[in-house]
Amino acid sequence: MALSKKQMITLFTNLVRADRFDKMFYARMLQGKLIGFYHPGEGAIAPGVAAASFLNDDDNLSPHHRAHGMAHNLSKGIDLKYYLAEHTGKETGCCKGRSAFHFSFPEKKVYMMSGFIGYNFAPVVGWGFAAKRRGQKQVVMNCSGDGSYGQGRAHESMLFAKTMNLPIIYWCENNGMAIHSSIEDMHPTKDISSLAKGFDMPAIIVDGQDVFACAEVALKAIKRARDGKGPTFVECKTLRFKEHDMGTKDLKGYRARKAEELDPMREREPVLLATKRVLKDGILTQTQIDAIGAKADEEVAAAEKFADESEIATPTVEELMAAVYAPNA
Amino acid sequence: MRELTFIEAIREAYIQEMKLDESVFLVGQDIRGSIFPHTEGLVQQFGEDRIVDTPLAESGMYGLAFGAAQEGLRPVVDFMFGGFTYVTFSEVSITTGQYHFLHGSQQALPLVITAAVGTGMRLANDHAMSVHSTFCHHPGIKVVMPSTPYDAKGLMAAAIRDNNPVVIPWHLGLMMERGHVPEEDYIIPLGTAEVKREGTDITVLANSVQLKNALEVAAKLEGEISVEVIDPRSFEPFDMDTLLKSLEKTNRLVIVDEDWENCGFAGTVSARVVEQGFDLLDAPIIRVTTPNMPIPGGYMENYVAPNPERIEAAIREVCA
Repeated sequence: MALSKKQMITLFTNLVRADRFDKMFYARMLQGKLIGFYHPGEGAIAPGVAAASFLNDDDNLSPHHRAHGMAHNLSKGIDLKYYLAEHTGKETGCCKGRSAFHFSFPEKKVYMMSGFIGYNFAPVVGWGFAAKRRGQKQVVMNCSGDGSYGQGRAHESMLFAKTMNLPIIYWCENNGMAIHSSIEDMHPTKDISSLAKGFDMPAIIVDGQDVFACAEVALKAIKRARDGKGPTFVECKTLRFKEHDMGTKDLKGYRARKAEELDPMREREPVLLATKRVLKDGILTQTQIDAIGAKADEEVAAAEKFADESEIATPTVEELMAAVYAPNA
Repeated sequence: MRELTFIEAIREAYIQEMKLDESVFLVGQDIRGSIFPHTEGLVQQFGEDRIVDTPLAESGMYGLAFGAAQEGLRPVVDFMFGGFTYVTFSEVSITTGQYHFLHGSQQALPLVITAAVGTGMRLANDHAMSVHSTFCHHPGIKVVMPSTPYDAKGLMAAAIRDNNPVVIPWHLGLMMERGHVPEEDYIIPLGTAEVKREGTDITVLANSVQLKNALEVAAKLEGEISVEVIDPRSFEPFDMDTLLKSLEKTNRLVIVDEDWENCGFAGTVSARVVEQGFDLLDAPIIRVTTPNMPIPGGYMENYVAPNPERIEAAIREVCA
């Protein structure tokens, strides 16, 4: 289904915002102004924007960990200043500064993050089960990378989704790299989506650098799930420009990734491609594009100001102990 | 007084809670056909939407319950045997225990994990192991274990109504035990121990099937040693006050627990008593637990689980 001009502008805007947030996180990590670690998103932000830009508030979303889910979450309508505050240990953080890098926005149906790659495959079954039981046509957008499909729970999840006809989209953002390992070494087929065949689940492969192509596929899969037709597998072939995790080596297997491998990737940078497209199609003028960029910069600056001006969370151990269990009425 | 078996009491709690609250449902493997009788006939009464059979895949099965709880439902997930929780252990222990706290205490996670545990069927380690100490080790999860039909109904009902993850294993050796169970709706608050028999010379803390053994020994020793027997009923939260109050009177303690000795519930209680009630003790604490070996199957099973003989020997040693 062809995208409307309005949809294309939404996607382009979210893509630019995601790019600026990713770059800000990267810079802050280098400056020592971010807690913990950061898994840079450069090169791989288009699938998340496409997956989440047209979800409703009451659709479930599980973001990919790359760029710490920021492309997904901002596209879902989440204000990332609360996430930056969390990532800087502030009491205004989305998890009250307790979690370092986790996010939780239950009002937007983004419940959680976990340090375990592939953790998402288990709870999405329950979200899909609950959505089907309510009968109100919510869908579950389940995003993770190629490496996560090595987990047994990925296969269990697809088994459940297909058997129970659950409205789950298996949105695989395949950048060909799992930490340092390449997909050629760790997966028997070129396409992760070939797994879907075993579950009689429809699968679509799409260019993960093209945010518009990804969104067309997302809309198709979302509609299919809303119509009660069950799960769809989408494989976005994407790229990772930087190392897995800032500060670790940028390896492929045990050898350093080389310039001749990385340089051509830059030609397929998603903002670059999207900019060419909106100009060519007459969707946006250069002036409008510049304004979108300037607004994204303002948003990023405001988020930094909010986080930097917030207090560091320093509850007492007693206060923390009292927060371990949910209260009973 | 109406009597039910232990397993019928659990079933009655499910029925009671499912009638009271539409969001309660059961999920497990072959619970519609009922591997154990606590789910007998429930699919006919409540339908397939509320008695949910899944593929034999624990991560998917538990994921269904976990995600449904985030969505506001109140699942009871039946793992059949406690050892099977290990198949999806990152989910049931870490992801579950940290969910509420680590995500800013924004959302409750009301779910119940249940399973049969314990020696007696000679099935060996993977089917016979206890799991309560392991769950106690993981913050954010409540852990309880009934020892009578009355407690089975009341603790299960309380677990289902609690807004937190609650693990409630039940011991196979108690499955057909009969006892008084009121028809009306009641709960036993989580975190309340019960003094099952009063005594003045020594306190024996014993749970589940081992409570039966402890009471048998206490009756045998009557006239010689006056044994007070306490059922913790709840491991996390644990009712330390009831235990300390008992020790003020008896000054001696034996802890009986079928879980393994190393890093087990009995060891934790011993340490707490030493920290909080050292001056109350007139003798060292002795634990009667399963020694640190994989539980053998067949007839060798009898070598490892606590039994009345080992409990009596421990009582005599502490009172000597």
